[in-house]
Amino acid sequence: MPEIKVTPLGAGQDVGRSCILVSIAGKNVMLDCGMHMGYNDDRRFPDFSYITQNGRLTDFLDCVIISHFHLDHCGALPYFSEMVGYDGPIYMTHPTKAICPILLEDYRKITVDKKGETNFFTSQMIKDCMKKVVAVHLHQTVQVDEELEIKAYYAGHVLGAAMFQIKVGCESVVYTGDYNMTPDRHLGAAWIDKCRPDLLITESTYATTIRDSKRCRERDFLKKVHETVERGGKVLIPVFALGRAQELCILLETFWERMNLKAPIYFSTGLTEKANHYYKLFITWTNQKIRKTFVQRNMFEFKHIKAFDRAFADNPGPMVVFATPGMLHAGQSLQIFRKWAGNEKNMVIMPGYCVQGTVGHKILSGQRKLEMEGRQILEVKMQVEYMSFSAHADAKGIMQLIRQAEPRNVLLVHGEAKKMEFLKQKIEQEFHVNCYMPANGETTTIFTNPSIPVDISLGLLKRETAIGLLPDVKKPKLMHGTLIMKDNSFRLVSPEQALKELGLAEHQLRFTCRVHIQDPRKEHETVLRVYNHLKGVLKDYSVQHLPDGSITVESILIQATAHSEDQGTKVLLVSWTYQDEELGSYLTSLLKKGLPQSTS
Amino acid sequence: YEDLHTFELQAPTRVIEWAQGNRVCVAGYGQSGGNEILQLLPPPTLQVKETQGLCPERDFKVECGGFSNRPVYSLKHVPGTSLLVTSGPPDSSLQIWQVSAEDSDVIKSISAIPTENGTGQPWAKIATISARAPWVLHGSRLSSVQITEVESRKNVYMAASRNNEELSGLAFLDCNALLLCCARGQLCLADVRQPQSPLEAASVPSAPCGERWCMGVGRGPQGSDSSSQPVALLSSGGHLTLTDLRKTSESLASAKCGVPSPSSGAEFLCVSWAPALEGCLAVSGFDGTVHVYDTQGWDSSGREVEPIFVHKGHAFGGPGSSGGRPLVTVHTWHPQKSRTLLSAASDGSLHVWDWVQSCGNC
Repeated sequence: MPEIKVTPLGAGQDVGRSCILVSIAGKNVMLDCGMHMGYNDDRRFPDFSYITQNGRLTDFLDCVIISHFHLDHCGALPYFSEMVGYDGPIYMTHPTKAICPILLEDYRKITVDKKGETNFFTSQMIKDCMKKVVAVHLHQTVQVDEELEIKAYYAGHVLGAAMFQIKVGCESVVYTGDYNMTPDRHLGAAWIDKCRPDLLITESTYATTIRDSKRCRERDFLKKVHETVERGGKVLIPVFALGRAQELCILLETFWERMNLKAPIYFSTGLTEKANHYYKLFITWTNQKIRKTFVQRNMFEFKHIKAFDRAFADNPGPMVVFATPGMLHAGQSLQIFRKWAGNEKNMVIMPGYCVQGTVGHKILSGQRKLEMEGRQILEVKMQVEYMSFSAHADAKGIMQLIRQAEPRNVLLVHGEAKKMEFLKQKIEQEFHVNCYMPANGETTTIFTNPSIPVDISLGLLKRETAIGLLPDVKKPKLMHGTLIMKDNSFRLVSPEQALKELGLAEHQLRFTCRVHIQDPRKEHETVLRVYNHLKGVLKDYSVQHLPDGSITVESILIQATAHSEDQGTKVLLVSWTYQDEELGSYLTSLLKKGLPQSTS
Repeated sequence: YEDLHTFELQAPTRVIEWAQGNRVCVAGYGQSGGNEILQLLPPPTLQVKETQGLCPERDFKVECGGFSNRPVYSLKHVPGTSLLVTSGPPDSSLQIWQVSAEDSDVIKSISAIPTENGTGQPWAKIATISARAPWVLHGSRLSSVQITEVESRKNVYMAASRNNEELSGLAFLDCNALLLCCARGQLCLADVRQPQSPLEAASVPSAPCGERWCMGVGRGPQGSDSSSQPVALLSSGGHLTLTDLRKTSESLASAKCGVPSPSSGAEFLCVSWAPALEGCLAVSGFDGTVHVYDTQGWDSSGREVEPIFVHKGHAFGGPGSSGGRPLVTVHTWHPQKSRTLLSAASDGSLHVWDWVQSCGNC
């Protein structure tokens, strides 16, 4: 049976690093190449030795696909392509291609410069790695080679995130990466057509979450900002430059307008430039609303939000500042943080996940005394808040996607088996498909039932349906023909036709069987008895009594002779061609049962 | 509001039950099977500590789930165990479930408690206690009230009553005293130690007939005598009666709450006392709102009273609501946070809200 093999790579049972190996119809594809953000040593990289112990990865893998720019999906890519060694194509969407190198470089800087690590990829490696990248558009079918094709679908979640369909012949796999089924202010919801893949691979980490509504999260965010500003404090919001920052700005602007607030809101200039640039390039990736507003006005021309200047950080009184980078590990946001940390009236709102080692991570874990450069201790008295806006699919979203795509099997990655049993049962009950949950390093084999289309010649079809032994509509019918496989097409033709095409002579096979019947009468009387018997039983067939004393049933010949030694026994010779095997066998067994007593 | 969380469940629930370890259980009540029973871990923002943990997530986590063929109309946790008891149409039998959060996240159906009356009976109301052993008090009519030991499924008590009055609720006042509320408003007391004595009709409400009633029993602090807490009775016409169980001949207080007309039936009527706010109770089931009343200062006049807070969130409907206003199916108070309530509605929404007292005692 043809099969699809899936192996999530990685060392240990941890969630947090995406890298999945798929083997489909002889092609090998690697889905995502993420870094585990919690480890400082080699455990953060996936274990590539699963792919092949010896031999080059480039020979083994047909392509690598990256779903989006989050580091737990692409962080190990330069390591993989430049340090382990891979020269084949790497596919990702255009926004992902543009944003990945920035994030990777940022990450490299923290790891090497801040933490002093040596065994890490270099800036040059990032550049070399990106040269191997082939960017794809949404819904564009890309031929990786003659047999393997891939297609990207919109996934929501972050700018440029995509779900990929991998197809070889009529077998296909869809990998979702991270996706979101509810649209938010600047990104749409994931969407896929009824592509009916043999397998749908989806992350299940957030399947057990029932998310608080956007309205309530935003309300909470605004409340926190408002309270801080009311008591004269300053709010620092470190952002990652794209997407979320935009959303939060729109939110604050509307709120300020409604509540008639006067405190200034600033947006650091680095952000403005970058964001503008990217939004112009990737306008098709955001949703309708943003597109409309973008066209009408420049996104960053807010009434209440102004460009930030370094000096403003020292101004007295309340204010809100958006600054990069998002994890407080360097640059402007860190500078501002240091100035404001000592005052308990101030607040910092962390927008999401922070890599280990960054100030952001430390304060989110509860540390209140931080060691800065030059062994200076910084006491953090300001309020630390966490605001998670990142959007992942929950159980309801996963069910929705399965309903849209109609896969034949589902595979869940990144969940502990015992925590996923309920979801597995839910999926199996609702959709009647198999649901698999392999652990990292474990290979799951999914058997597929590909349908192979075959052209059947009309003549053959007519012939085969004409001959029949009491055909039953419900039973599958056995047909005889010759299968010709040529140039990726299959044809079923009659043997004569095939022989003719091949220029070969046809050989006939004829079977003869002897049936002994007790009958003392003369031969021609026996023949008459046989003829009448057969005519009575085989009403749908052409039974003929020929002048030469033989009987034909369709094209089968029956002749009677006397037994050489025993006059009381007649020998019936039943003779048929290979094609009439079924009928011939049937006749023989019928005759063996004997003739009825009465004769006409 | 001090704080507000709104969630959307995949299917609406009409039960919200607190289980072991501050977990919340909800379950679907669809007629066509495939209902899910979910045990949820509330977000850290709902934990008791006033000073929040550093990164308070605002989401519920589904810890365990199970599947029920029947619609779940009532769900109770058996205290001190990891068992849940549910009931629902088409008959008055009970289903027992095991929640084993350690080994797997599936809530398994382990057994059922059948009842003799057969199908066609209204669904059983249930109450649980774990005093001498885990017991479940259940029944759909006065005549079928019984207590069954959960693990052995042995019958421990049978009410000696021929009265076929339909029940709308029942409760353990303590390990021996039972309180039964009939749909027509009568309250009956019974003692487990005296199964043969007939049930004593404790009170009959003085309101127009034809209304359906339900009750809310106060849960005092551990060890206190439950019968010292008044029982609140709510009718489908909006009448609220408070009765002291020690003196059942006359009601303590009586009031009327504003009810929209035409009334939407008594399917989801729910009244409950606040566990941490003296004299406060909440009422829901008439429309998409939950009303909170302060009963201190109520008299027996039966006049109309104003709520001290109204939660309107469900009335606006969620993103997917199509036609028809959602109806609040159930509400419950947070056992420790004094002004926090959870409420669910027929459109699948689940809200957790903490209101700000505008005046009076906070």
